[in-house]
Amino acid sequence: MLKKRIKNILPLFLISAAVIAAVIIAVVYFNFISHRIYDDSTKQLKEIYGQVNRTFSSFVQRNWGMLDGCDEYMAAVGSDDETVFEYIDSKKQYWNFSQAYFIDDDKSYITLDGKKGEMLLEEEWDSLANKKEAVIAGEKLANGQEITVFARPVSKGKYKGSDYSYLAVSYNNAELSSSLNVNAFSGEAKCFVLRTDGSVLLSTYEGGSVFGNFFTYLKAGSDLSEESLNDIRDDWKNSAEGLLQCKIGGESYCILYQPVGYKHYLLLSAVPQSAVSEGLVYIQQITFDVLVVVFLLAGIAILTLVILRNRKQTRKNRLELQYRDILFNVLSNSVDDIFMMLDAHDQHVDYISPNIERLIGVNAEEARSNIKVLEACTLNYNGVIPKEELEAIPINSSRYWEYEYMHQTTGERRWYRMTVYHMRVQDDIKYVIVMSDRTVEQQMNQKLQEALDAAKSANEAKSNFLSNMSHDIRTPMNAIVGFSTLLEKDASDAQKVREYTHKIMASSHHLLSLINDVLDMSKIESGKTSLNIDCFSLPAILEELNIILLPQAKAKEQSFTIRVQGAPPEQILGDKLRLNQILINLLSNAIKYTPEGGKIEFIISELPRTSDQYTKLRFSVCDNGIGMSEEFQKQVFNPFSREINSVTNKIQGTGLGMAITKNLVDLMGGVISVESELGKGSTFTVELTFSLPDSDAKQEEWIRQNVNKMLIADDEEEVCLSIREMMKDTGVGVSYVTDGESAVKEAVRAHNSGDGYKVILLDWKMPGSDGVKTARMIREQLGMDIPILVLTSYDWSDIEQEAREAGINAFMSKPFFVSTFWQIIRPLFVSEQSEEKEADASAFEGVMNGRLFLVAEDNELNSEILTELLDMEGAKCDVAVNGLKAVEMFLNSEPGRYDMILMDVQMPVMNGYEATRQIRESDHPEAKTIPIVAMTANTFAEDKRNAIDAGMDGHLAKPVNMDKVRELVGEILSKRKPQDNGEGENEQ
Amino acid sequence: MSRNCLKITALILSIVLLVSFLLTSCSGGKTLTIMGKKSDMEKSYMTAVFKLYEEKTGNKIKVVSIEDVEFEATASQNIANGDVPDILMHFNNSDLHRFDVEKNFYYLNDEKWVSELTDSAKAYCLDSQGNLIGFPFWESSVSGCYYNKTLLDSLGLEPATTQAEFDTLCQTLADMGQTPICWAQDGCTWMAQFGLDPVFADEPELLEKLNNNEIKYSDIPQVRNMAAWIEKAADNGWFGTNYLKTGWSDISPALSSGKAVMTFIWDTWFYTDFEKDGKYTVDDFAVMPVFFNTVEGGTYEGGNLNMMMLNKNGDKLELAREFLEFCAEPENYNAAFDGISTVKCFNRETANIQSKMVTDAAASIAERERVSTAASKIVGYSAEDVASALENLLRKKTDAAGCVKIMDSLRTEEAKKQGAEAFK
Repeated sequence: MLKKRIKNILPLFLISAAVIAAVIIAVVYFNFISHRIYDDSTKQLKEIYGQVNRTFSSFVQRNWGMLDGCDEYMAAVGSDDETVFEYIDSKKQYWNFSQAYFIDDDKSYITLDGKKGEMLLEEEWDSLANKKEAVIAGEKLANGQEITVFARPVSKGKYKGSDYSYLAVSYNNAELSSSLNVNAFSGEAKCFVLRTDGSVLLSTYEGGSVFGNFFTYLKAGSDLSEESLNDIRDDWKNSAEGLLQCKIGGESYCILYQPVGYKHYLLLSAVPQSAVSEGLVYIQQITFDVLVVVFLLAGIAILTLVILRNRKQTRKNRLELQYRDILFNVLSNSVDDIFMMLDAHDQHVDYISPNIERLIGVNAEEARSNIKVLEACTLNYNGVIPKEELEAIPINSSRYWEYEYMHQTTGERRWYRMTVYHMRVQDDIKYVIVMSDRTVEQQMNQKLQEALDAAKSANEAKSNFLSNMSHDIRTPMNAIVGFSTLLEKDASDAQKVREYTHKIMASSHHLLSLINDVLDMSKIESGKTSLNIDCFSLPAILEELNIILLPQAKAKEQSFTIRVQGAPPEQILGDKLRLNQILINLLSNAIKYTPEGGKIEFIISELPRTSDQYTKLRFSVCDNGIGMSEEFQKQVFNPFSREINSVTNKIQGTGLGMAITKNLVDLMGGVISVESELGKGSTFTVELTFSLPDSDAKQEEWIRQNVNKMLIADDEEEVCLSIREMMKDTGVGVSYVTDGESAVKEAVRAHNSGDGYKVILLDWKMPGSDGVKTARMIREQLGMDIPILVLTSYDWSDIEQEAREAGINAFMSKPFFVSTFWQIIRPLFVSEQSEEKEADASAFEGVMNGRLFLVAEDNELNSEILTELLDMEGAKCDVAVNGLKAVEMFLNSEPGRYDMILMDVQMPVMNGYEATRQIRESDHPEAKTIPIVAMTANTFAEDKRNAIDAGMDGHLAKPVNMDKVRELVGEILSKRKPQDNGEGENEQ
Repeated sequence: MSRNCLKITALILSIVLLVSFLLTSCSGGKTLTIMGKKSDMEKSYMTAVFKLYEEKTGNKIKVVSIEDVEFEATASQNIANGDVPDILMHFNNSDLHRFDVEKNFYYLNDEKWVSELTDSAKAYCLDSQGNLIGFPFWESSVSGCYYNKTLLDSLGLEPATTQAEFDTLCQTLADMGQTPICWAQDGCTWMAQFGLDPVFADEPELLEKLNNNEIKYSDIPQVRNMAAWIEKAADNGWFGTNYLKTGWSDISPALSSGKAVMTFIWDTWFYTDFEKDGKYTVDDFAVMPVFFNTVEGGTYEGGNLNMMMLNKNGDKLELAREFLEFCAEPENYNAAFDGISTVKCFNRETANIQSKMVTDAAASIAERERVSTAASKIVGYSAEDVASALENLLRKKTDAAGCVKIMDSLRTEEAKKQGAEAFK
């Protein structure tokens, strides 16, 4: 701190020191120069006036000499006026005096040219007349002219009749002054000849005669002290020389006095100090100018340096500020925190970070000008924290509030923690506010809360489930156990055995479906469910659903309708099984929860496409059943949830169906929603997106079958156009007519032209000739070669016989689906292939007969059941109680002993997978070829995949369905046969 | 009107005239009418000489006094109307042009008493043609630069004898913190005319050309010098600092207190208006010439004299001439001016009192005195106009040359107003 302070004041100190040093040097220099020049000037003054003094003294002496010469001459030549005149006049011409006076003792005089007058000579008269001394005196003539008179006693004589005792010559003062005048000191020097009392005898400059007494003048007009004046007076009395300085009238004078050398007269010179020190003044001025210039330059240099430094510092500061601003802006823009500073006095916004616009949708400048704009953004407070609350925060402390804000542009809601720091910034009190985005935390908390709620709900649901399950499982189990007991008891009564066995079977199936549901749910929830995406036919699905559910609906005398709206694609890529499961769940629920005589409607529609590669289908299941309460609607998709009421209590269910459905829909990336009203029915809507298969393949099929042209006859032109549109992708050219007669004509015309129609599709009910009649007419003219189909919305069973007799090959129900159409007509073109396939299907009959299976099953009961079932099919089996045992038995078996290994997966000691691997890796001759089929309760796709991966050839779900066992064995063995043959041939 | 009535009226008038004649004859003297300003007529020496004349001659003096402020207008109007008094009292100044002197008044060049007049008195009474137009019977004074001799002595200084000395003296006094000259610009209009007197007194041809409108002040170097000197004096502080507001009443305090050393005034002022209780008394003062840079040695102005002018066309001219002879008798004028402080107008005037200041400077005055010429001889001259021009100069509204031009302009205007022939 101290060092910093010293560093701050050091430059100022150095500059001050330099200035002071310069001033001291200048003062010392001035003093030195002043003294030196003053000494020189006074020396010069003395020399100059010493010279003047000598000149004046010489002049005085010369006059005395001249007057002596005149006296001697006049004494020698006598008083001849003319001679005297000539002599003195010659002297006048030579010495240049203005007049010569012959003065008598009574002061009267006569001049050389005869003029008379009176010569006063003032106090000098006494010296002249009484002391007989030569005198110099100032005299003012009657005309005002001032003269200086040099007079001395001479031998008495008479000139022009006038007696005289003294001879005098006079000089005009103005002329005399010129001999004493000094041009030095700029002509400002004044020179006087004084008597010792200070009275002025003569002055050397014009107008100087006004000085009567210089001592008096000095006394009155100068700043000399009494002591100094006394010294001067003493000097003058003693004819001493002296030099003094004084101020007269505000101006400094140098006064030099020195004896003239005549009597006690003094020569006094008064020179203004400024004239004496003119050189000094000049040097001072020059020095001052130089110093001023030097200081000015130095000052400019320092100022420039300071300015440059300040500018550099300012630029640096500004740059730093800009950097900070940029950094802060970038920082604030990259974080979801808003910073602002408010003045504590008036809550004026001093700063607000620009990201407020991004985060809250409020313009930063707008917020800066008025903080109250935040009011509109807040959802749970008035936007501005009350002033009193802010003031309550102690200085250098902080407090925070959390509020929810709504983005003014997007409407997005975000939670902010507003932390207010009450602090002193320099002398101002400020509130620094940091609005930190707490949305994630808030959402997390919310989710946690929801999760907690859900967990509670799930827990509760599970508790309910367990309670329900306890009942639901016990009920069939009770039946199974009960009837098994009865079976044991009445084993001899075949009728009862069949009755009991049938009931046990029913209870077992119910129990199995319960367990399947539970397992399905568990599987889905654990995320182990995956989709088997394959191309499947939507109409096929609908047909299957119709086949499955229509009987159930009929059983409850319910109306069950499937409606297709628009033209949804027929072939789609997806998991047919799961879709089936979803729809069956929804539809069976609808049937289940709709009273007898109710109405169930299943509607399929395609939502507007956004891509050629995808289609979004909506499946709606509407019923007018019992409906659901609003509360239950919220949790209808939760697992283990069932609405408890008098109706549902009578209906069996696990409460997992809708949860499974919801999870499957989620798994397929779709959405499921429900609209329901208690007592009025429900509508479940599922929207799923499916990929679309490549249409070229279909087109190739049509071309391969040489179906390139077809004729439609339907009185509804829209139907014709719709079919033509739907057939667009098939490459089949579609023509249509709207009545039977036209159909006949067109068919005949085309046939006759050599480009006949390959297929004719007739509406059953048309005005005029109906479909059957039209078909008959076509057959009459064109024979039986062209397949003719009847398209109808009605049940055609009543007319089927008549129609076939008329030559109609097949019926097709509306709505028209290309795939359905293809499936219907394809057999007409490939009848041979169909026949082969039907023959294969029946080939599996008796495939089990005589086969020997190695069964790996740890559960004795299961192995016993399986053994019995195989036995029923004419097959035998060896049972291994675990995987290891199975491996050993296989390895120890003769090649060809076993036709197939049925391998339980979950077994003690060694599981089925590991056993399979060891078998496959063994050196048993049939290690690689022996068919191994998994038998497991795990029936999911990955279970099948795991089985295949382990080296198995197939998968059977428990409990074992012998039909499926037969089919699978048949397929495997039929595949194996050629290989066996091949191998056999190779071996041979 | 009937014949009888006319006869009666004529008879009454005849009786009245007869009675009057008889009454007049019984008094035994003649009557002279003399007209003048009331204040002038009441001067003691005037009343004294009237009384003396009446006593000695038995004649009567009828004094027609006109109020001072109305005098010029009334008197000039009367004379213009032919009502010319036997004797008119008037100063020889520029106002005299209203009275048509040549037509109405008698030249006194050859009167017996002319030699009895002092030169300055005589010179004052001459017209521009050199004719003596009046008989000076008036108190007189010497105007000059009156200075505080005591103060000057105490400063070791001497009075000036030349313009250079005067300038040095002024500057020296100023350097010593004194106010050298008490210049009264506020109303004291006479001062500048002291500088102009010697210009035209010494060179009458300049006056003639000026009055003939052949030249102007600005053509005369001395006039330009005077204006320049006044400007310099003011600038150098020789007038002090308050000269623009200094008036008549301020002069006495300034001099008596020693605040000012000199002023341009006349000697009788010290006996009439000078404070007697000041630090300095009249005995402390002396006179030196006035220096206005118009003449090297300076000048004094002689007195302004009231003259008796005689009606040349009146029937009492001879009686009036006799009256003037009576007044010019030493016995009579000494009797009249007995005890009066004045500069003498008559060479044998002895009963008057002359100031010591004038006496001490007699030689200088004798050499440098000029008769009051500017005010009396310059056509269109107005002391007020000159003072107005100087006011502009001293207030720095114009320079010296501009000041002289203003003087010219104002004088020309005045001359035209007076109807001067050369300016028509």
